[in-house]
Amino acid sequence: MVASRRTPWVALRRAVGPLLWLLGLLVPILLNGSWISIMAIFAIYAMVALSQDIVLGRAGMYDMGHAVYFGVGAYVTAILNTQFGWPIFVTWPVAIVAAALIGALLSAPIVKLRGDYLLVATIGFNIIFVLALGNNVANLTGGPDGIFGVGVPHLFGWALSSQGTLFYLDWLALAAVLLLMRNLERSRIGRVFRYLKEDELAATTLGVNARNYKILAFAIGAGIAGAAGTLFAVQLASVSPGSFVFTESVTLFAIVLVGGQASIPGVLLGTALMFVVPQVFRGLAQYRYFAFGIAMIVVMVLRPQGIWPRGRAR
Amino acid sequence: MTPPAGGTPLLALDGVGISFGGLRAVDDLTFSVAPGEIKGLIGPNGAGKTTVFNMITGVYEPTDGRIHFAGEDITGRPPHRVAGSGILRTFQTIRLFAGMTVLENVLAGQHLRTRQTWWQSLLATPAQRREEAELVDRTMTTLERLDLATVAHETATSLPYGMQRRVELARTLVADPKLLILDEPAAGLNDKESSALNETIRSIRDSGITILLVEHDMNVVMNVTDSIVVINFGKKIAEGGPAEIQSDPAVIEAYLGQDDEEAIA
Repeated sequence: MVASRRTPWVALRRAVGPLLWLLGLLVPILLNGSWISIMAIFAIYAMVALSQDIVLGRAGMYDMGHAVYFGVGAYVTAILNTQFGWPIFVTWPVAIVAAALIGALLSAPIVKLRGDYLLVATIGFNIIFVLALGNNVANLTGGPDGIFGVGVPHLFGWALSSQGTLFYLDWLALAAVLLLMRNLERSRIGRVFRYLKEDELAATTLGVNARNYKILAFAIGAGIAGAAGTLFAVQLASVSPGSFVFTESVTLFAIVLVGGQASIPGVLLGTALMFVVPQVFRGLAQYRYFAFGIAMIVVMVLRPQGIWPRGRAR
Repeated sequence: MTPPAGGTPLLALDGVGISFGGLRAVDDLTFSVAPGEIKGLIGPNGAGKTTVFNMITGVYEPTDGRIHFAGEDITGRPPHRVAGSGILRTFQTIRLFAGMTVLENVLAGQHLRTRQTWWQSLLATPAQRREEAELVDRTMTTLERLDLATVAHETATSLPYGMQRRVELARTLVADPKLLILDEPAAGLNDKESSALNETIRSIRDSGITILLVEHDMNVVMNVTDSIVVINFGKKIAEGGPAEIQSDPAVIEAYLGQDDEEAIA
């Protein structure tokens, strides 16, 4: 932005993120197979959590059905790949567009609702979505067991089949999402989302079409979640309704609140606490939700702005 | 400076009224604002002044009457479209975007002239970055004009009250309004700040912006307005220049008849 505040300290702080990302590139070289997949899953969930943050942390809408868009991305890829033989790199953009469209369509009738009412409506979407998947809609979704045998992506005839190459794909996709988030911060739509969150009436009297921008927030958030969903289907080589149930949405919601709304490092930290830390304490992995539950309570009471809140100026 | 009689008004309310349930908050209100004028809207507490503003800016839809602005019927238009036609407003209780800097707050006023599309926003294209830089430059110019440049990067809601008022004003001014609606701009200001406000309001008018203001501070009302509309219980009871209004028996009664609220200056 304007001059000033470009001190060396700020420059250093700005370099931390990219450095950590570069460090992540060493994961497949230095760590064993299970860690590679843990970090791949982290990258995927980080994308979903960041997309949840666009709707919840930035635009201020209590979306507690975000797993739907993650699931749409995963199922679109799984169906197109297993039933119609489309390559992953073709299903991917289709999955993104499909998720974004569904995000726009589902949100259009509810964005005018006040926070708590919108929250209940999004839970409704999530429940219906999972029910539909389990009932084998149009004979495509495979019922409660889901779909197996999702193929690996091919790039110029080269199969990205090893855990390491898949990790790099996920890690690159995360970088792309992080760039989008950074751009959002420095753009009209990023600001408008926050205006709407802080004071919708003031924003509309300055010319903001609240409805359109709220739908846009949902569509962008859903599109990114859909992109992550495709990677998720590829990572697991399968999809099933259980990955996209309402409690997954609750977890995503909590990651944003616990980590720090509209804070990129906060959301990443929240995702790591939820998906990586439990793996470090293997024997305690079954206490994952217990530990995160405690964290949710403690953070909300003692530090309601989140563990790593948004910085004041950028 | 009385506007030329018979000229086309910039804003015209014609028989405007609104009811909330059984309560008739504003009834058959007709007045107009000429281009380049500073018009005051006054009345005892609860007279319906803010309701009138809310109807003009589209926050409420009137149940009766029409509102015309710059020759167009804007009755019932949603607030964002009213803003688009050139009517910007401030609020009686300051409404800044909490947790955002002064610069980010005032950038909101540039929303309508921003051209970047959503995908340019996401991809940070060169054109988008150029536009952002221009928006910041233009915003900084306005901040300098209102003596806010030094706090551009401070959190707006942490500033002293008088400054927050100026931030809100700056946010409307960067939008280049045709009509600026000020809802009690002097509320909460000390004497010095309210005198400075008089100057600011006049300089805004001199830059070509028409002003409609609600104000309780008679120092402001009597010193800056060209003409005044007085309402009580949602009805117009008087209209005229500041001097006429001060000696109007109906106005005096409306104010003094109330349990010793502020007497007219």
